[in-house]
Amino acid sequence: MVEAATAAVSTVIRRNNVTVSGRADGPVMMFAHGYGCDQDMWRRLLPYFADDYRLVLFDHVGAGHSDVDAYDREKYGSLNGYAADLLEICESLQLKDVILVAHSVSAMIAVIAAIQEPEQFSRLILVAPSPRYTNDSADGYVGGFSQEDIEGLLASLDSNYFAWAEALAPMAMGNPETPELSEELRSSFCRTNPSIARHFARVTFLSDTRQVLGRVPTDCLILQCSDDLLAPPEVGTYVHQHLERSSLVQLQATGHCPHVSAPKATAEAILQYLAFSP
Amino acid sequence: MTDTPGRGHFEALFNQAPCGYLMTDDGGRITAVNDTFVSWTGYGRSHLLGSQLQSLMPIGDQILYSTHCIPQLGITGAVSEIAVEIVGAKGERRAALLSASRSPASDGEPAVVRVIIFSAHERRMYEQELVAALRAAEESEARRAEAEKELQHLALHDALTGLPNRAGLKSELDQQLAGGSAGADRLAVLFIDLDHFKAVNDSLGHAAGDELLVSVAQRLLSAAAGTNTVARLSGDEFVVVDAFAGPTEATGLAAGLLEVLKTPMQIEGLEIVTSASIGVAVAKNAGETLEDLIRRADIAMYRAKELGRSRWELHEPAESDPTVDRLRALGELRSGIREGALRVHYQPRIDLRTWRTSGVEALVRWQHPTRGLLPPSEFITMAEESGLVRPLGAWVLGETLKQADNWRGEGPGGASLEFAVNLSARQLNDPELVPMVEAALRLRSIDPALLLLEITETALMADPAAALESLTALKNLGVGLAVDDFGTGYSSLTYLKKFPIDELKIDQSFINGLGSDSGDSAIVGSCIDLAHAVGIRAVAEGVETPGQAHTLKAMGCDLAQGYHFARPLPAPLLKEWLDANAGGEPACA
Repeated sequence: MVEAATAAVSTVIRRNNVTVSGRADGPVMMFAHGYGCDQDMWRRLLPYFADDYRLVLFDHVGAGHSDVDAYDREKYGSLNGYAADLLEICESLQLKDVILVAHSVSAMIAVIAAIQEPEQFSRLILVAPSPRYTNDSADGYVGGFSQEDIEGLLASLDSNYFAWAEALAPMAMGNPETPELSEELRSSFCRTNPSIARHFARVTFLSDTRQVLGRVPTDCLILQCSDDLLAPPEVGTYVHQHLERSSLVQLQATGHCPHVSAPKATAEAILQYLAFSP
Repeated sequence: MTDTPGRGHFEALFNQAPCGYLMTDDGGRITAVNDTFVSWTGYGRSHLLGSQLQSLMPIGDQILYSTHCIPQLGITGAVSEIAVEIVGAKGERRAALLSASRSPASDGEPAVVRVIIFSAHERRMYEQELVAALRAAEESEARRAEAEKELQHLALHDALTGLPNRAGLKSELDQQLAGGSAGADRLAVLFIDLDHFKAVNDSLGHAAGDELLVSVAQRLLSAAAGTNTVARLSGDEFVVVDAFAGPTEATGLAAGLLEVLKTPMQIEGLEIVTSASIGVAVAKNAGETLEDLIRRADIAMYRAKELGRSRWELHEPAESDPTVDRLRALGELRSGIREGALRVHYQPRIDLRTWRTSGVEALVRWQHPTRGLLPPSEFITMAEESGLVRPLGAWVLGETLKQADNWRGEGPGGASLEFAVNLSARQLNDPELVPMVEAALRLRSIDPALLLLEITETALMADPAAALESLTALKNLGVGLAVDDFGTGYSSLTYLKKFPIDELKIDQSFINGLGSDSGDSAIVGSCIDLAHAVGIRAVAEGVETPGQAHTLKAMGCDLAQGYHFARPLPAPLLKEWLDANAGGEPACA
């Protein structure tokens, strides 16, 4: 039995390319990357937490160095499949009281996971969340995009088909000002399987998680950026209103990835929340 | 080359470079832009400065730029050859490739992103074509898989009632039997035939008849609920198959079903009282096959009809059955072959693109001394089971090729006619088959390409390995091969692809429902798609109306045959028909 369990654990670890770092006996902080990227996108944020927290990172199946063979179109045809993976990682590593930092579409994956197994998580940190990207004419909800916009996104993905295919991707010429980065990271950063990226785009941008927001029992911090194409201010407010135990913090950072563009401000907002929230 | 270019040179390089140069902040706001980009996009420089670079892209590219490029620039400091479109001042979209590198903030100076954008029209077109081809291939594969799955289901179920059909019944029972036996219980078949169903059809119309059949199916399903299987064999014939402790339990169920069916039902506002006759057969031993049981239950059902209908009858294993009749018939057939009582009739095959006759199918008839002219359905199974089918098959092939030889000399049309001849399962496994075909072709000097041999789907699947061997040998002779009655058996493309087939003949039972039954239309459409997916012809049998012919043409079916064009005709009449219909106008019977 022990062997079987070990095998199952190693399958999960390999499938999601789970990596653990930071302080081994610290509280667990888990990071879930968003659409279009992989766990490398957290690099600039991690130093602010590495001394005090046990850091658990992973790639969603289809992204980064995950096991692409594990990609099952049916399972990952909704965000539930990703939430199931997230819970399996927690179970495999026997993580408790996890502080889950989730970006973009992963914020809603985190919401689903927290509803399914509330005792697993102590806090959710939702970075630029959106429960629905498309507008809903039925109830006037503003998500920021029309159905045609999403079709346009899929067309753009097709245009980048070759740029994203590992073997065919052009090698970035590099940047003399960031010599510390390995060539490997430079060339593989957020590289993805184009067909999976297309399917994940569809699942992400056509998802609607609004109905379940009210069932989240966990304390949540919402980090809202200015000038975020994917999560406009109305959306942040909507999420705040519908998550019962949530705080909303407006960051100075612009764009969709404050943990990349303004890691210090992002980390401070998280640390402050963790220190002062009840 | 010791001279260092002056500052002016670099400014010229920046401004007049053969591609767009820009500088932006981390959020994409443009802080510098060269002349090339200004004139390429048509915007004024003052408009561009301060705007976000991504705001010049269509929304899909904007999303990718936000989710992919900006974080990549932030983390790795560079992106390379990202395919984007830039929307120019006049709204025109221009394909471009974008590379960029980022210098982090230092000494109070903010971070700078340096961007190169170059036109990539040709490359975009090329890549779009490749991706479109890839998507088309993926979708066609998905459609093929879907069509096959759909067909598999349709082929095993009756489209009207949703019950398993004969093939579906067999498949379900095979699965149940593989799952384990039902202990000491014995398998029994209840064969149910509605009384006077034809009268309902004739007086109220087919729609009412169909409605009645659906109600009956529902009643049988709910009344016989449990471990049993309810299937519709054809028309108003249903069977219930289950394991019973003994004959008393089986006939008990039959009596119960009779009561259930007697309850009046509402059909098109009218109250109809229907009844049925039921034959029951209980397995003698574990070795008795489903076919045997159905046959015995059928016999018992006929006795129930003869004894006044609306009752059940149990088939006793000891009672005499038509086996004796069969033996007598076999003797008659044997002498029939010997004494020249067999005939070959020819049915034209029409090319639906041109409405011209492309060939004929040879169909054997038996001029029976007392029963008249019999179609193959009356005697082929018997010939097959007894082995008589070999001499019979050889005779039909020889006779057909003799006719082909005659017509070849009689006119221009006759020379290119294709001749389709049926092969039975038993012939297919006959080691003498290939030499026999070869000799028959040589005797009449017929081009092998004009001969098409038709094998039923069931015969192919009986022993796929042996079938493949025979078919390959026949193919090597140069003759064409067709799968007959397609859709009634396994309908597996995976198998079909293995065989060197040229043609797929869609079973006429599906053509019957074309236009009136959406399930049948779906099957026919799937069959045509399947045939074309593996690059072979699709042929429709049993075409009886102009509507069916035109629907098939619209569906892309290649060839068709049936009473709408002509029924199978003796050689002289067929020749007359050919001469009369040589014009290529839509042919009619």
